[in-house]
Amino acid sequence: MASRVKSGAGGTGRFTQDEQRRDSDHVSFLKHKGFRWLWIALALNGAAAAGYLMIDQQPRPNGGTWYGYTLGTIGLGLIVWLSLLGVRKRRINPGAWSLKAWTSAHVYLGLSLIVIGTLHTGFQIGWNVHTLAYVLMLLVIATGIYGVVVYVRLPASLSANRREMTRAQMLDALGAIDRQLESAAQPLARAEADLVIAALGQDVFGGGALARLTGSYPGCATASALKGIGGTSEAEARVAALLEKRREQLAQIREGLRIRALLEVWLFVHIPLTIALIAALAAHVISVFYYW
Amino acid sequence: MAFLIRTIDFTAAGREIIRDRVVEQASLTVGRAAECDIHLPDLAVEQQHVQIAGAPDGTLAVTALGTLGFALDGQVVSEGTIDPRTGGEIALGAARLAVAREDDGNVSITIRQVVADEGKGDALRGFALASVLPSKRAMSWGFAGAILLLLLMVPVASHLLRTPAKPDPTGKAAGVVLMDSAWSSGELSLKHHSLADNCESCHVAAFESVQDETCVSCHKDTGDHAPMGRLAKGMPSLSAGDAIQWKIGESLGKEGPLGCVSCHSEHEGPVRAAAEDEVFCSNCHDKLDTRLTDTDLANAHDFGKGHPQFRPLYFASFGAAKPVRASPGSVPVERSGLKFPHDVHMNARGGAARMAVSLTQYGQPLECADCHVLTPDRISFKEVKMEDACEGCHSLVSGRIAGGGFSKLRHGDLKDLAEDVAKISAGPRARIGPPRQRPGQPGSASPYRANFGRPVRAYIGISNALSVGGVCTECHLPTTSPSGQADLMPVNLPDRFLTSGFFDHEAHKKQECTDCHAADKSRAASDLLMPDLKSCRTCHLGATAGKTKKIVPSDCAMCHAYHLPAGQWQAKGPAPHYKPPPPLPAEGKSAVATNLTQVRK
Repeated sequence: MASRVKSGAGGTGRFTQDEQRRDSDHVSFLKHKGFRWLWIALALNGAAAAGYLMIDQQPRPNGGTWYGYTLGTIGLGLIVWLSLLGVRKRRINPGAWSLKAWTSAHVYLGLSLIVIGTLHTGFQIGWNVHTLAYVLMLLVIATGIYGVVVYVRLPASLSANRREMTRAQMLDALGAIDRQLESAAQPLARAEADLVIAALGQDVFGGGALARLTGSYPGCATASALKGIGGTSEAEARVAALLEKRREQLAQIREGLRIRALLEVWLFVHIPLTIALIAALAAHVISVFYYW
Repeated sequence: MAFLIRTIDFTAAGREIIRDRVVEQASLTVGRAAECDIHLPDLAVEQQHVQIAGAPDGTLAVTALGTLGFALDGQVVSEGTIDPRTGGEIALGAARLAVAREDDGNVSITIRQVVADEGKGDALRGFALASVLPSKRAMSWGFAGAILLLLLMVPVASHLLRTPAKPDPTGKAAGVVLMDSAWSSGELSLKHHSLADNCESCHVAAFESVQDETCVSCHKDTGDHAPMGRLAKGMPSLSAGDAIQWKIGESLGKEGPLGCVSCHSEHEGPVRAAAEDEVFCSNCHDKLDTRLTDTDLANAHDFGKGHPQFRPLYFASFGAAKPVRASPGSVPVERSGLKFPHDVHMNARGGAARMAVSLTQYGQPLECADCHVLTPDRISFKEVKMEDACEGCHSLVSGRIAGGGFSKLRHGDLKDLAEDVAKISAGPRARIGPPRQRPGQPGSASPYRANFGRPVRAYIGISNALSVGGVCTECHLPTTSPSGQADLMPVNLPDRFLTSGFFDHEAHKKQECTDCHAADKSRAASDLLMPDLKSCRTCHLGATAGKTKKIVPSDCAMCHAYHLPAGQWQAKGPAPHYKPPPPLPAEGKSAVATNLTQVRK
């Protein structure tokens, strides 16, 4: 080890290279190459805004002036390219265009579309296919912003919630508790046994999207079984203790589900709306020239 | 301490085989080795894997004997504690050791083999949100399909399949293209609002810009600013961006920067098309002579700083067929054919004023409005009619009528005048001489002679009226007709003096007429009383001038219209502001001259 460090002191050794690679691997895509794409996006926006203010657009600024067409073309190109991230990330290939660089550009150029798209509209908004495309674009960007925020903030809490257990282990633990519950509940009377059956039979992943996102499960059979079994006999105490363990295990799983749902939910808006946006853009561009 | 070790196996048929044995030891070892207390023939299990030892408090301490841990209640640990009263489960390889307390106080360990969970991967999928939401792909197809169908395919299909109808200017015909209102980029202007449901009345063909031809099919009266070739020549060159846009646009069938829609931009909201600003006009008219070298128009760019002197239209010679425009800086001498000293009529203490005071129809000295009445367009004045404006004083009464009242000479036509003058001599009169006469011969003084004799007196009368000192020459100039008869000079006055601009008299009613028109000092009808540029500039300066109590910033559209002929653009004016072309003086004589010629014939 010491010799490796020594050999790497010059900066050309394999260790140094590896360290650099490892360092760069741990730089967030937001900070990629010293915020390169942030600066590019800011420059693009600055140029677009300066052009909007300085160029005399007759009869009034909107998508129909030459500057409006220019902004529209840039915007359309960006949107199509940004939507190709989904294709790019499925192609594992080497090259200068790393996925991280691509993602970084995706985020910052996507944000720059707020300025480019708005200037393209010339602040003319209405109930039409053109504004539909604009609003869809803004929604896609808004969900994207949400996505970036949760990707930065939530993985830490997801990790903390796991407490060094994998998802499979959480399910195994629940299975272990369930098997014990099954045998422990043998001495119970009918009513209590039914409560245990209901608790065991309930799908851990049930409850729907809303329950996942809020972490609130009002119909939780384990909780109602805990309430229902209040007897003092040893068997009942044992079942109650096991149900308490089950509830805790469920809480961990459900907290994991909640964080994961918050991490993933934006994609269920971002992706379909992106495709809808591309359709609306097609309608926008074709209709504008159809009724020129 | 006694452990009840219960092994549960399954036969090939699925039947459970339960084997119980009791081990009386303080601790148990579990592992693959045959000498272990609990022997698990599983390669995933260490030779000596776990030790289960009873603690004094009744709990069991479970400790891994090697480096490999074990799962206690699902969690991988290397040591742990089980309270037999609540129980616990140790997982080692495929074996599950359930620890519980029997009724007799002994600890039971139930060993069961679990079948490898084939569906574990599937179970893990439940952690993904996708398990409870519709698939992204399905949603994408749904949204995109709905948008493409409703907002693109339906309008395009119904547009292609329709039977094209003629444009309907009334806007009562509803459009037949479905869903194309979603394509509208904004509300139509107020004037075109009735067309809102009929997009194809303007957007006639697919992928073709709105054509001038379509606009003109309704706006038939709208004139061009100038012939298209001259407009193009007079225009300054376009900016680089505009030039590229028009080059592309024109190659795709758009009608260049001089097409209707390049200025009349639609879908900008329910507003009236506003008048263009000063820059719009000065773009071409400033330095127009450098591009349109043969133009008669002087350069103009700002009313205060660069505007040519007015050139009013007037008749420069008696009986001229056409009025001419005054050359800049000249003092025009108008040959209207009338005698009319404005100063005499406007002098508040003169004879005209005294006469007006004595007449009930005036009751006070004459005012401009007594003769000059504004036309409804508030720009020019109605023709001054002798009967209405002059006759109150300049009476043409010729005698009394038998039934009461007065007879008078008709004005305007010499034939009428001749008839009326003839009647003066022919009317019944008092006898001059005695009534006696010789039988069979009409007396020279008799009514018969007057009634049926040659009308000598009438000739003398009309000749007197038309010659100097006669009733007609009070106002008219005497002349002789080509046939040698006595005649009057035809009256020639243009309907408008400043024909290329609009002056709203109503807007200037706080001013006295004489502030601009020096009528009170004019001693002859040959004075052309049109104000000059300087007098306008005391209040009106260009659009860039600062607005003060006195200075009114004035852009070109305040006085000029783009489309010729057209009315004045007014922010609150009645609709439509276009009106049929006024009679063009350039085409022939003025209205008065025309009337006179017809009368002569």
